[in-house]
Amino acid sequence: MTRLGIFVDRKTLSNSEQLNALIRCRDVAEGMGHDVDFIFPVDINKIPGMDALFIRARTDPMNVTYVAARMASMHGIPVIDDPRSIQICSDKVNMYSHLIKNRISVPVTVFLSKNDLTIENVTNLFNELGSPLIIKEPSTSFSLRVEKVHDITGFFRVARRFIKLSDWIVVQQYIESKYDWRVGVLDGKLLYACKYTIPSDTFKIQASVNGHIVYCGVESVSPDKVPPHVIRLGIAAADAIGSGLYGVDIKNNNGDAYVIEVNDNPSIESGEDDCYPRIFEQIVTHLFTK
Amino acid sequence: MNTKEIDSPPHKDSPEAFPPAPLLTSDAIVKESGIPFDGPYFRKTAVKANGKRDPNMIKDSLFIIRRGDMFHIISENYAFKTETYYSILRYEMEGKPVRPSSSAVLDAYVVPICLERAKLAGIPVCTWGISQGYTPLPAIIYGLNYFATASDFCIVRDNDEAKDAIKHITNIGKYPFCYQTLDNGATVHSCIGIFGKTARQCNAVSLLAEKVYSHFSIPLVTMVFVKTGEQYRLSSLAPVKYSQLLGEERTLLAAYLSHQEFL
Repeated sequence: MTRLGIFVDRKTLSNSEQLNALIRCRDVAEGMGHDVDFIFPVDINKIPGMDALFIRARTDPMNVTYVAARMASMHGIPVIDDPRSIQICSDKVNMYSHLIKNRISVPVTVFLSKNDLTIENVTNLFNELGSPLIIKEPSTSFSLRVEKVHDITGFFRVARRFIKLSDWIVVQQYIESKYDWRVGVLDGKLLYACKYTIPSDTFKIQASVNGHIVYCGVESVSPDKVPPHVIRLGIAAADAIGSGLYGVDIKNNNGDAYVIEVNDNPSIESGEDDCYPRIFEQIVTHLFTK
Repeated sequence: MNTKEIDSPPHKDSPEAFPPAPLLTSDAIVKESGIPFDGPYFRKTAVKANGKRDPNMIKDSLFIIRRGDMFHIISENYAFKTETYYSILRYEMEGKPVRPSSSAVLDAYVVPICLERAKLAGIPVCTWGISQGYTPLPAIIYGLNYFATASDFCIVRDNDEAKDAIKHITNIGKYPFCYQTLDNGATVHSCIGIFGKTARQCNAVSLLAEKVYSHFSIPLVTMVFVKTGEQYRLSSLAPVKYSQLLGEERTLLAAYLSHQEFL
């Protein structure tokens, strides 16, 4: 009997959808003949006793999920998300560097160090990239530290806040769209696709509007209804990062598709899999055949 | 941050001559934005590396030296998302051999990973566990979160000390922490490793410093050890401020920076 560990963290398990998805994943794996253990941070020393590890908690190289991923990889245990993918995807400077190096279509992207934060440089950015601009703190997730700025004053207000958290920040051209494609990729193959509909009062998939958290709408879309160039771009972007599980966000604006980001540990609990009922089976199969 | 490329043999692949890889380079940024980039990587400072001038070990300075084919990055702090981290990343993205690697510095500064990796490399390490609130006593405890640094550890010997320390390092229970149990009579020591060498340390610590360097390749690092009887066990690796260096350590680092042949 093989043992699958599902790494979870009560700090990032925040709603019933996430819990139901974990139970569904466990049921699928058990149905395939595997033993399944949920592993919490305090159980991390159990990881060397697993045959595979599936991380379902917010990833960051500075938190306990990275410890779990490294524990698995150091002991030769197949793991999703692997530490390299976490390292790259949790840092947008690193992630965009890999995408640009592999000639993946992304919005015009500039990395600014704190020494480059001058009025002259920022003026040039607006002149070159237009207004508004998007500023991202490199380790943001769920759009938390992503801001749209329209002028130099706004730019410095946001940049000074972000530069306290990172010596480099990311500045991007703004691409308008009413929805993002999310292309789920596993080991270089399409796993699922869905649309994330951006709430009308924000430009992010999750935002605080008048003190309330608003989330994007999720619509699972069958592969035949996804533009082929979006699927190709999603797979190419995932391949630029690695061979694990990724959710690639793509804006398709007037036929030009741009990768907005590649996420490790993509959400699979909000209806992304409605048209793809075998997602967990494919993930578990992949882990045990690596 | 001041960056100094100290570079004894002239090399053809100076930053200006890099192939047009569109990332983390001045070329890339200029091409993509049109912004003249005077970032720290491209201030090729006039620091002479022949020992006649002090290499200016001032706060936040970053040195890049080349020994053979390998670039070595020397800094006070290799933490995630610092200038130093991005300097390493830049070399890696350009396919240049660089030490330490970005993955090694992430491993080194997250205590449980550091210890597991060191243990697998044959370095004696403290027994560790992860907890949300409880620690066996006595213990040495480290934060395990975005804001934690291995420099900030607490030694706790009773429940009151533990309660206060855990509250502090977990941000009032928000994050887990790493504990390492201390045997009776155990003492905690730290020393600074400079390219795997130490100043005025016993043989046992010197050998461990060499092993730590051969495995993590961090040129400037604080090693925290727990000593029980005559045995030293690694507890953590942490950053070093230049101002912490004692005279001999400063001389040793200066010698590396100036490529003295005896090294």
